[in-house]
Amino acid sequence: MQEKFNFKKGNRGRTIFRIANVVFLTIVMVIMIMPILKIISDSLDGSGQYGMTLIPHQATLAAYEKVFTSRELLLPLGVSFFTTVIGTVLGLLLATLGAYVLIQKDMPGNKFMVWFVFITMLFHGGLVPSYLLIKDLHLMNSLWAIILPLSLNVYNMILMRSFFETIPASLMEAAEIDGCTPVAIFTRVVLPLSKPALASVGLFYAVGYWNHFFNFVMYITDTHKYNFQVMLRQIILDSTDMANKNSGTLVLSRTIENAVVVVSMLPPILLYPFCQKYFVQGVTLGAVKG
Amino acid sequence: MAAEKNLNRHGALPKVTHSGENSLFGSFLFFDNNWHNADYGKDFGSLKVGNDLSNNINTLRKLEMPVSKNDLKKRIYKYRYFYLMFLPVFAMLTVFNYIPMLGIRFAFTKYGPFASPRYIGWANFADLFRNPRFMSAFGNTLFLSLINLALGTVVAILFALLLNELCNKYFKSFVQTVLYLPHFISWIVVASIFYLILSPSDGFINNILGLFGQKPIYFMVSPKWWTPIFIFANRWKDTGWSTIIYLAALCGINAELYEAAAMDGAGRLKQIWHVTLPGIANTILVVFILNLSGVLNIFESVFAMQNPMVVDVAEVIETYVYKVGLLNSDYGYSTAVGLFKSLITLGLVLMANQISKRVKGVGII
Repeated sequence: MQEKFNFKKGNRGRTIFRIANVVFLTIVMVIMIMPILKIISDSLDGSGQYGMTLIPHQATLAAYEKVFTSRELLLPLGVSFFTTVIGTVLGLLLATLGAYVLIQKDMPGNKFMVWFVFITMLFHGGLVPSYLLIKDLHLMNSLWAIILPLSLNVYNMILMRSFFETIPASLMEAAEIDGCTPVAIFTRVVLPLSKPALASVGLFYAVGYWNHFFNFVMYITDTHKYNFQVMLRQIILDSTDMANKNSGTLVLSRTIENAVVVVSMLPPILLYPFCQKYFVQGVTLGAVKG
Repeated sequence: MAAEKNLNRHGALPKVTHSGENSLFGSFLFFDNNWHNADYGKDFGSLKVGNDLSNNINTLRKLEMPVSKNDLKKRIYKYRYFYLMFLPVFAMLTVFNYIPMLGIRFAFTKYGPFASPRYIGWANFADLFRNPRFMSAFGNTLFLSLINLALGTVVAILFALLLNELCNKYFKSFVQTVLYLPHFISWIVVASIFYLILSPSDGFINNILGLFGQKPIYFMVSPKWWTPIFIFANRWKDTGWSTIIYLAALCGINAELYEAAAMDGAGRLKQIWHVTLPGIANTILVVFILNLSGVLNIFESVFAMQNPMVVDVAEVIETYVYKVGLLNSDYGYSTAVGLFKSLITLGLVLMANQISKRVKGVGII
């Protein structure tokens, strides 16, 4: 690894390549991060003169103060937190339960259950039948219409199953011999050994719920139950799309719009670096396993 | 861990040690150098029949004790708690996945919000192919997602190779962290960011163009600009994320192969061509056909970024279904459109499976 940079003959091409590589990736990183930094900087700029700098002309937190004090924006923030927390807990419960049952290869009906889960990945009823179902269940305008359909994510469950399969079966057998019930094995052996999996799948669920907007667009008509993403969509699209100017929605200054964007992207991007080493394994395992 | 393993090809002896944390999964991934070559199909297969080991055990058990009715009862009794634990999963899948599948019967009816469904046979499907809006949506869907797929695959492999060449562990993981970042941002926020920095009044890009005396361009509502911006936004968001799988595959390549190639006088580029690419070919194939089977499912990104001005280039099947089905409440026709899409997707998945079977001898399902 400790190849030194040297320009001796024979190594020259390699060294030039390595320097070029670092420069190129640095430029790519700047492109990746630039739009985000620009939005953050603009949200802190009280002057309204954004220009091209990344440093605010008049640094102020006024926009954030506005975001966290106006009722119209606090309510969606609350909805976002509510659906994210409840949904993640419920999702993790379902994913772990399902995965734990699916790894019981000797269980009568295991094959049926695996297929029962798997078929849902191959074929889906579609948008309109799902909408009609929610309508028939009288879940329209209820936050459960958001939480419940997303809580069973087959991909996450299979991911969890792949993790569980790496736990040595002898551990579970030992616990069984010691007189543990299946539920006790689940809560005392399997779950404590799966903390990385729980972190990674939990992150996927949390990010999924926090970022979700489409079920809100479909199932929720009461604007008081919108989450932060949908609120953001309304604010940005209505202020940008002159042709569709909607008089009913909030009119906000550009600085506050920027602040709203920052608030809605911040939780996931603050959370993910802590789970990075877990989800990298998660994705790899998931793609390998299906 | 990934980085350490990677060192091998730079001269160190192959290591089997790895940092203590998550040893369970670490060991699974990295002790076995050839997992990416050998195990895809088998593991997909395990979904159906269980892996080889447990199959053998099952066969042994069957040989030892013939399954009688009594025995089956005993086994069911033994697993009684598990059935109870599966119940919530079963219920959720039934309600939210299987019941909507029954809803496809509406595809053969005329059905609106105020009338009960009336059977009209295949008329909806006949309408579908006569409808220019649908045909345009179908074309856009294929165009946008195939470009996405082709560009995505190439760019992801390229970046994985470049990342793999980085020698400094800390710089590498820093780059990775930055590249993964946009993946965690919702499409709504991505669309908002692009709307804001491309805004004609005080957007960043138009400010720069202004320096050169350009008049402001209203990027997001221009049909000419929308498609390239959409493609770029997709790469911006998911390039880093899609390198993960290839990086893992690169780590799995046996370092001795590189040494052997170097011994035979292969330069770096030749090593990439003759060792690296064949080594990850299986991964590329599997990821590619998995993505190919989903080409018609492009939706959230388009929905977030489109606006009425660019509907000619930005309408895809799912957004069309949403508009016709939910906004215009033509349930029957829009279910037919959705069913058409689902069936093609199913066909593509099965085809992908066949290709994989032919190429590698094992299916991915």
